[in-house]
Amino acid sequence: MLVIAALRWVDPRPGVDPLTGAVHTDPKASGPSAADECALAHALRIAGPGRCVAVTAGPPAAEGLLRDALAAGATDALRIDDAGANTAVALTAGIRTLGPPDVIVCGDHSLDHGTGATPALLAHAFGAAQALGLVELSMDGELTGLRRLDGGRRERLAIPLPAVCSVEPTGLRPPRASLPAVLAAQAAAIPVVTVDSGPSMVQAGEQKPYRPRPTHLGAPAGDAHHRVLALTGALTERTPPRVVRPASAAEAADELLDFLRKHGFLEP
Amino acid sequence: MTEFDVVVVGAGPAGSAAALEVARAGLSVALVERGPFPGAKNVFGGVVYGRVLDELIPRWWERMPVQRWVTRRSTMVLTPTQALTVDLRAQDWGQAPYNGATAHRSELDSWLAEQAVAAGATLITSTVVTGRSATGVRTDRPDGDIAAKVVIACDGVNSFLAKEAGLFKAREHNTLGVKETLALPRAVIDERFGLTGDEGADFEIIGCTGDIPGGGFLYTNKESVGIGVVLELDGLTAAKVRPEELIAELKAHPAIAPLVRGGELVEYSAHLIPEGGYRTMPELVTDGMLIAGDAAAMCLAAGIWLEGVNFALGAGMYAGRAAAAAIAKGDTSKAGLAAYRTMLENSFVLGDHRRLRDMPGLVLSERVQRRYPGLVCDLAQGMFEVDNAQPKPGLRKLLREARRTHGVRVRDLLRDGITAMRSLS
Ligand SMILES: Cc1cc2nc3c(=O)[nH]c(=O)nc-3n(C[C@H](O)[C@H](O)[C@H](O)COP(=O)(O)OP(=O)(O)OC[C@H]3O[C@@H](n4cnc5c(N)ncnc54)[C@H](O)[C@@H]3O)c2cc1C
Repeated sequence: MLVIAALRWVDPRPGVDPLTGAVHTDPKASGPSAADECALAHALRIAGPGRCVAVTAGPPAAEGLLRDALAAGATDALRIDDAGANTAVALTAGIRTLGPPDVIVCGDHSLDHGTGATPALLAHAFGAAQALGLVELSMDGELTGLRRLDGGRRERLAIPLPAVCSVEPTGLRPPRASLPAVLAAQAAAIPVVTVDSGPSMVQAGEQKPYRPRPTHLGAPAGDAHHRVLALTGALTERTPPRVVRPASAAEAADELLDFLRKHGFLEP
Repeated sequence: MTEFDVVVVGAGPAGSAAALEVARAGLSVALVERGPFPGAKNVFGGVVYGRVLDELIPRWWERMPVQRWVTRRSTMVLTPTQALTVDLRAQDWGQAPYNGATAHRSELDSWLAEQAVAAGATLITSTVVTGRSATGVRTDRPDGDIAAKVVIACDGVNSFLAKEAGLFKAREHNTLGVKETLALPRAVIDERFGLTGDEGADFEIIGCTGDIPGGGFLYTNKESVGIGVVLELDGLTAAKVRPEELIAELKAHPAIAPLVRGGELVEYSAHLIPEGGYRTMPELVTDGMLIAGDAAAMCLAAGIWLEGVNFALGAGMYAGRAAAAAIAKGDTSKAGLAAYRTMLENSFVLGDHRRLRDMPGLVLSERVQRRYPGLVCDLAQGMFEVDNAQPKPGLRKLLREARRTHGVRVRDLLRDGITAMRSLS
């Protein structure tokens, strides 16, 4: 039996530039999410002494995650170097190089705004059954899973093979790796498959900073002096700024309401 | 059982330097770190003095992950309403071979460990050494014993290994360092601290911790500043104040507030510092084991200095060399490893610590902490205050008045002055 743990390498707390929207991730802080760790633990358990391969699509720094999986008991590992942006397509191409999988286990959704669609897309690609958002997964002759329902109820599922299962982050974690296993995993060569899953199928628009549209304003009339005055508004009459220091939040609210009323934004 | 020639416990600066030297000597070495990566759990104010690296990593300044090169070094004495600053600017420090640099520990420690790994060391992370075994050390992993001819304990302040071996004779003297990292745009930092390009500023502060003996610091990174206080533990417990309240007070001080205003808190961290210095150091060598860095109380925290990383690097380097030499000679007993102490004594590590051994006590004394800041600030204020109906008061008169106001006896002033001069000369 071939069991795949499909793991995502992700920075749980990326920095986002408030001005440009650019996302900064730190490779050192990156790793599997709690759900992915749970997925690996389930995959190791259902594979038993059989083959369990840890797979991730990510940069070379993601190999740390695969080495941890090897140390915890995965039989082998595969990194998919994807030049594109479709994780499920890349994973499918990579997993196919390992042979037909019996069970693929993933976390329920990745931390970096994942929608949870990857397991469903994998199930479609492999023509496999899908059981998503499980809190328990076991292989006892047949594959069964437990899913949480509304109102504290649960449903138990008999899952036919091949199957793609996604699991919620419960308390289950891979076993603590032994020291010899950690050292062996450090020395292991991680095979890499290079794929190009193509540009993202979801076009969310260009990422750019917020800039209000420019408005065309005609140049003011008059000589240079008057034009400068008009452009800078230097001698125009206006409400002078006022600094208020209300003592309490209630007084601050009253102050704001008075201001809005005075300027016609609220009914007097 | 897993076997190495040497096992180094802790991948801080001391541990990585030790592992680097052992690996360079052609021996097998395990560098065991409890954090998920080197530096993950480590805290410091932010300035690393890299001169000691000249011996370890040629042209280190071209590769080390640096935030800014310190070209401005200010020593500030504060009272709640006054500040007296000695502000040194040295443009030379902004050029190779540089003097000090601000850096982030997660980057610095990882880089140092990478040097050791590149030289052949085996880095084992997320693994806690739980104690010594007959043949080496035990770890918290299944099948986790590591056999080694020499153990180098670089496990930081509160060293479990040094304590377990009963090496601490004097009472340990630890202070608590707490730090806030405040994000500010680079241009704002440059403007407020008068810096350009990669230049950085380092402020060491005394008189900012109320009734608790200690000090403060303020360092500039590229796009953040690190501000914090160092607090004596007994004083902190007695004062019943929370450390973050003291940082808040420091941030609100009229001399500091304009520098940090608007900074967004991105990190709060706390760590112990072994401030006792030379007088509290444990025995550094025992059969099959050497102790280096904070584990051996080698942090120099003497008021205007807060240097631990350079001492840890130096001590780790000598520990690595001594271990390799002892293994080559086939004698890893206490006597076989004794060269470590000699190397430290002939270097800045114990040289500086021995010379400055009275400074930690002096700096944390009640007079330096509570009386002298007010005294020197009043003295300076008196000198520059213009009270024109009256002629300018002489320095002697000002000093007498300031001494009276702050309850400082001439005898104590002289004694402290002599202690300081003796340490510094
Ligand atoms: C707030 C603050 C500000 C400071 N400012 C400065 C400064 O500006 N400049 C300066 O030079 N110094 C400064 N220092 C001091 C400096 O941080 C230390 O002196 C220096 O880090 C000591 O290095 P080390 O390698 O001995 O110990 P550490 O850096 O503490 O490293 C010890 C390592 O051992 C690991 N470890 C501990 N126990 C175990 C175990 N049982 N098993 C496995 N691993 C273990 C830890 O995770 C850690 O990585 C400051 C310290 C503090 C707290």
